[in-house]
This record gives sequence, C-alpha cells and structure tokens, in this order.
Amino acid sequence: MDRQLYEPVHGAFREAVRQFLGKEVVPHHEQWLERGNIDKRMFRKAGEQGLLCVSAAEQFGGTGVADFRYNCVLNEEIQAAGVTSSGLCMTLHNDICFPYFQRLANDEQRERWMPGLVDGSLMSAIAMTEPSIGSDLASMSSSAKDDGDAYIVNGSKTFITNGINADLVIVAVKTDPTQRHKGMSLLVIEEGMEGFERGRNLDKIGLKSQDTAELFFSNVRVPKSNLLGQEGEGFLNLVKHLPQERLSIAVTAVAHCRWAFEETLRYVKERDAFGQPIGKFQNSQFVLATLKTEIEIGQVFIDRQIEALNEGSLTAEDAAMGKWWVTELQQRVMDRCLQLHGGYGYMTEYPISRAWADSRIQTIYGGTTEVMKMIIGKSLGL
Amino acid sequence: MKILVCIKQILDPDMPARDFKVNAETKEAERGGANLVTNIFCENALETALQIKEKTSGKVTALSYGTDDTEDSLRKALAMTVDEAALILREGDSNPDAEAVAKVLAAAITKLGEFDLILMGRESGDWGVGQTGGLLAEELGLPSLAFVDSIEANDGTLTMRRQTDSGTETATVTGPALALITNNEFNVPRIPKTRDVMMSYRKPLEKFSLADIGLSAEDVSGSSFYEVTDLSIPTKDVQCEFVEGDSIDEKIGVLASKIQPVVAANS
Repeated sequence: MDRQLYEPVHGAFREAVRQFLGKEVVPHHEQWLERGNIDKRMFRKAGEQGLLCVSAAEQFGGTGVADFRYNCVLNEEIQAAGVTSSGLCMTLHNDICFPYFQRLANDEQRERWMPGLVDGSLMSAIAMTEPSIGSDLASMSSSAKDDGDAYIVNGSKTFITNGINADLVIVAVKTDPTQRHKGMSLLVIEEGMEGFERGRNLDKIGLKSQDTAELFFSNVRVPKSNLLGQEGEGFLNLVKHLPQERLSIAVTAVAHCRWAFEETLRYVKERDAFGQPIGKFQNSQFVLATLKTEIEIGQVFIDRQIEALNEGSLTAEDAAMGKWWVTELQQRVMDRCLQLHGGYGYMTEYPISRAWADSRIQTIYGGTTEVMKMIIGKSLGL
Repeated sequence: MKILVCIKQILDPDMPARDFKVNAETKEAERGGANLVTNIFCENALETALQIKEKTSGKVTALSYGTDDTEDSLRKALAMTVDEAALILREGDSNPDAEAVAKVLAAAITKLGEFDLILMGRESGDWGVGQTGGLLAEELGLPSLAFVDSIEANDGTLTMRRQTDSGTETATVTGPALALITNNEFNVPRIPKTRDVMMSYRKPLEKFSLADIGLSAEDVSGSSFYEVTDLSIPTKDVQCEFVEGDSIDEKIGVLASKIQPVVAANS
C-alpha cells in the first residue's frame, strides 16, 4: 500500500540520508561489526550533515522543526541499508535521549549541551537498568546524595546502549532513597567526571557494532547544574518519554521487516531447488504472502502512531500496543525469512542471519512484550 | 557571477538490471518501479557551479526541461544550495531529441536573463548522446568546451581545464561561455544538509510552458537529425567451461590452445 505519512520534503530528506549512509556507514559496516564498535567520527559527520537532533532550535544548529517523521526517515533508511547495529547510535541519540534535553534542560544547560548534541561532538546515552533491576525501576539502588552544590553518585548501570562512546549519560538515580517513584531524579553525568568508569563492551548475540556497556559510579561528584528536570521527578519524566522511545523501536521493527522481506523475496526468486526457483513452491508463496500482509498491517498501525506523536496524542497504551505487536512480528518475519534461506540463512555472511540476531532484543529492551501487555491490561481497568 | 546549470532527470542507472525493460514499440525505456534521479554529470556541473559561487559570490540557477516529476531533481539542486530553479514543462509523452532540447533550453535561457556561465553535464546516463551542450551553444552563439573537469574564475576570466585522451588542456575565456562538465575528484556532488533540504521547498521554482518561452509543440517535434530504428536489451550468452589438467602448466597449455583460435579469428 502507498504510505500517506510523508510529504515530498521527507522524500528529499530520505535521498540525502541514503546518500550519507551509502558513503559514511555502509562501506565500514563489516569492519565495525568485527571490532564491536563504530568509528565515532561517523557520528560527528552525521551531525555536520544535520541528521542529529533535527528539531533542536536554530540557535543551536538545528532546524527548529518538530516533526518526528524526519527521525523515522533516518531510522527506516538505516534498516533499508542493512546497517541496523551501526546506525542505532543515531536513533538512540535522536529519538530516545535528545527529547530529555529538549524538554527538561534549563537555559544554561541548553547553551552548554545543545550545540554539541546537534553537531555530533556530544553523543548521548540513557542509563536506567541496573544489574539487579530491569522493568522495576522504582527499586533501583544507584544513589545521589546531596552535598551542597553537588550530588555524590554511587552505583552501577548495565546494558547501556552507546555506553562506551557516550559523552553525556542521563542517569536515573535515587535522590531520596526513602521514596520509590518519587525519590528518583535524572542527572547528566559527563565523560571524564572522576569516579565515572565504563565496564567492558558487552558481548551480545546481535547488534555487534553497537557498543553496549556497564557503567560504574564511585563517589562521582555531579554538580547540581547537571540535574535534568526537577529533583524527585525522574520517574515521571521517564514515563513521559517512554511512548516515543517505544515508537522508535516499533519504527525500527517495521522497517527491518520490510528489508528482510525484500532480501528474502529476491533470494527465493534466484535460488533453485528441484528445477525451479524456491519462490514457485506454494509454501514459499503462502509464507511470504502472510508476512507481506502482516508487515503492511503493522506499517499502517505504526504510521498512525507517528502521526499521533506529532499531534501530541500518542498514549502510553497505544505505544505499548504498537511496540509489542510489531516487535513480535519482527521475530516472526526474521525467523520465517531465515527459514526460506535454508542453510545459508544460518551463515553469518548472509545478512538475514545477522538481522535475525539483531532483532531478538527488540521484544526485550524499551520494555518487554510482557510489560507492554501489563500496561495495556492496566488501561483496561484490570 | 551569474551561472546557469542545465540538469536532466533520468531513470536511476543503479536500478537492478533485471528490472530494466524497454518498450520496443515506442523505442524508449520503461520506468516501471524505478526511481528518477538527476544525471550524475549534471550533479557534477551543479557542484562546479556552487564552488565557483562560494569563491566569487553571485547566483546559481538550475534549469530543466521535463515533466512534473523533474521538480524533484530541481528541488534537490535547490537543497544543494542553488539559489533558484526553473522547469520547462514537456508536452507529449515521448522523450525529445538533443536538438529539440537545445532549442527549448535556449529559449528558456533567453527568457531567464543573461548569464556569465552556462554549465551542463557532458552527457546523460540514459541515452549518452552527448550532443545537447554543443547544440545549445550553437543556439545561443556562445563558445563552448567539452569534458571540462574544473573551472577557475578570476576577474571575469574563466580558466577551464578539459580532459583529453592524452592528458589535460587548459583554456581561458571571458564569459559568457558554455562548458560541459565531466567528473573529477573535486566536483563530487555534495549531499544536501537537512536544513537545506527543508529550505529547498521554500525557494522559488518557476514552471513554464513551451508557450511561455515562445515555442510551440511543433517547434520541438519532428526535428530529428537521427532516428532510433530499434531498441533492445542485449542478450547475454554466458558459457562456462572448466579447464582440465593435472598440473598448472598443463591447464595453462589447454587454456592457451582454446584462446588462440578465438584471438586469431578476431585479429
């Protein structure tokens, strides 16, 4: 189906994104997969190209145009270019971290951080999960004790995307350990602050060129001028931003499905068995027909959610529905597409095998499928 | 300096070969699901013009003769930071030949004003005729140079370097003049920045009919100085044979014996 979401200007932006990825990411992707990290200069170039924090105010180098469709175009093209893991640093920075700075930073913080976030000299990450807590954020133990004009931060975080490369990390901490949700605050911890250390680049089954790390905080003195938003409102702010984070993951999921489908369609037309292309077998046709239908359904659903986000009406329940459904679809699509590739699909030199591994995290991070269903269940009064 | 760049939109040359089809009846390529893109040498010309403007100031105008779809290529030119753009809308379905295009471009340029320098791509990536530039120079009565890969502008003088089979030649000309641009490492087209992409939709893009520039459909039809009599995709006949032998030397000998008759037959 023709998508009605985009205007001609987004098409022109898409072409520029495609050119950028073709020049600065695709040629290096294999090398970055092998070394387990991107070359951070690519991120800086993305900033110079205007691909980061598009909606930032013009005075900070952005365009001042608040339109999530630009974020989605970048995300979709990353999937279409088959560089999911090398491009994730940009979508995480744009879709998930930047909104916190955009909405919560005071004037002084904006002056200090915005230009770097836009031009790519500052990469961001957000740290919520701890070794002993995942979805149950209110139980976190990382603490920030008041010490005059600063907080003294102790604790650790894990599974932090951009954890190795990030220059600014938004860290969820307990400023009041006697409280659960109301005791949480967000602090921006900067590269180079004494006592802030990064653990090893974690070895994952997929997203191999995406750095994911543990972060350790040992008596890190964080100036109170690095408090993002109000003290005690950290959880509230996290909850407010989660729908956009989940929608970003859903956009990735559908675009990744489209890429995998096209890869597989091409393969079944070229691969022969028993004297004919395997796409001629009824099973292949039925499998691909089913996936095609489901991907189109998912696309329509997510396109509507993108519109709702732009309108300011995307609810937590809607975002939860979109996130769980299309990421579960993504698992089915990758699995079925890999199956149609046969033995070659299990070989890492075939992109479908990496896509299969890359996609596995999608039903877990940003809130698991189970948590998404809990949110929806609660909204039903259950 | 006022520079005008003529650009052409063509079928994406990077489309998969299996998707490329021609219509034997109309003797034209079929678009199918392929993208339309700006001809790469035209983008080299745009880049050349923009670099001159950035060094000397002035204005760059992009001009194209095409359908409404061609607006996308002109918007891209604007996003590359061209100042203004004009589109002459084609009438009829068939692609015009080089002579007709030169006539249209000449009439359009006359309408748009005076320019110090007119740039075009050396040829287009679809038909590759490479005649339009020379014919346009003739129409406008301008000196022209082909295969130019760099231009320096100093005090009203244009120094152009052109590629030849044996190296390069340098020519100096005072404008107005026309140059057909080829690619080099210095005129790789820039990727439009996000802000410029957005701005490209706020810049002026004028559309003209043939009548607006003083021409009629008859003026640009039936002027062919050549005729396409047949259009087809070459069929590939690939034969693969593994050379047998117990050693490398033996295999080389067998290979040579197979090649020699072919070489002899073609020499």
